[in-house]
Amino acid sequence: MNQIDSRIHQVLDGELGSDAVPAELGRAVAQLRAAATLLAAAPSGPAVSLESRVMAEIRRPSLSRARRLMRWLVTPRAIIFRVRPAWSLAFAAVAAALTLFTAGDGAPELAEHEGIAQFVGRFPEAQSVHVVGTFNDWRPGSIALVDQDHDGVWRATVVLPAGTYEYMFVVDGERWVPDHLAERLVADDFGRENSIVIVRPARR
Amino acid sequence: MTRWVTLALAGCLTLPLAAQSVHGRLAGRIPSDAIPTVDSLIQFAAQEGLPTEPLIQKALEGGAKHVAGPRIVAAVQVSLGQLRDARDLLVRAGDQPPLLASELTTVAWALRRGLPAPVIERVAAALGRPPRAAALHAVADLVAHRFDPDSAAALIVEAVQDGVPRARLLDVSTAALQQVQRGHTRSEALAIVRRQFPNVPAPSKPTRGNFAGARRPATPAP
Repeated sequence: MNQIDSRIHQVLDGELGSDAVPAELGRAVAQLRAAATLLAAAPSGPAVSLESRVMAEIRRPSLSRARRLMRWLVTPRAIIFRVRPAWSLAFAAVAAALTLFTAGDGAPELAEHEGIAQFVGRFPEAQSVHVVGTFNDWRPGSIALVDQDHDGVWRATVVLPAGTYEYMFVVDGERWVPDHLAERLVADDFGRENSIVIVRPARR
Repeated sequence: MTRWVTLALAGCLTLPLAAQSVHGRLAGRIPSDAIPTVDSLIQFAAQEGLPTEPLIQKALEGGAKHVAGPRIVAAVQVSLGQLRDARDLLVRAGDQPPLLASELTTVAWALRRGLPAPVIERVAAALGRPPRAAALHAVADLVAHRFDPDSAAALIVEAVQDGVPRARLLDVSTAALQQVQRGHTRSEALAIVRRQFPNVPAPSKPTRGNFAGARRPATPAP
């Protein structure tokens, strides 16, 4: 630690004149005086102590419950997860298995009285094929067959209540065609034949 | 007596509502000039205790196929006649009114599929209680493949008597048809299947993979 020359003290205390000390000491005296001037210019109000700030917070009127909730909701917060990698992998495996086995096949749940009717027809030149019958009030356009492979074979799988139904295919919206693969046909009383499908309960 | 009065009162109350709903289903779907006659035929059926849905479906079918009004009316009349024949046949077979709509419809189906009325009557009487749909369809399937109607009916009745569940009777006719496909005569096929009773080859049950992507029709089936 450097000792301050006693002559500097004497100059600062006014016991010596500035001219009475060497120029080097005179510069040090000038710097010390400038520092003293700066300190003297600091804010003059009372210092805000920690205690006074805490007390001010305590004395502040309390917020309503709704405002506190609102403040809690909008205040940013850091959430820290501490996860072991082994548990993370196990959780991911369970989630993947549930996804695969519960929603993967797209097959509807069948009621006890319901069964499946599969309609298949070969219409190589068709742009659209629909199946129409007593299961849909003979309403054209409600059940479309799909030619997924573009091989001219159109298919639709429909869930129906168990029972006996008459139907026909409607090709390109205008041509009524019986299902030539159906084993059962019946006269439609309009000069053509309807196909018959017997839907048996799937849960038997 | 009280039961019949209750039924009559219920009929009086529900018939007007039923007429409204039938009219709503036919409007816009069949030529408007045919609606009053078709409507009255449907009301006749309802008053006689016959199912009306087959008549409504026949009218809707004619409308969808762009058939002229008079032909639709004629086809509905034919359907009504078949339901009346079915009722008479079931009564002769021993059923007591009121007859089940499902049984009436089933017998009307069998008549439409060309089964002789006496054969239907014999099967209905032999089976006694409903349901008889599978039995009559099984007989009709065999007759459609040129089996003798009496022999076909005898096979199915015997299957029931030997303990084949009614829900499996279509498997009986399928088994007989498979024997014919394997080269047996029809009488041989019947004998082979008969010897296996009460066992019948089980059809393959649909797996979930069979109906992936299956959908229900937008219009509720009857």
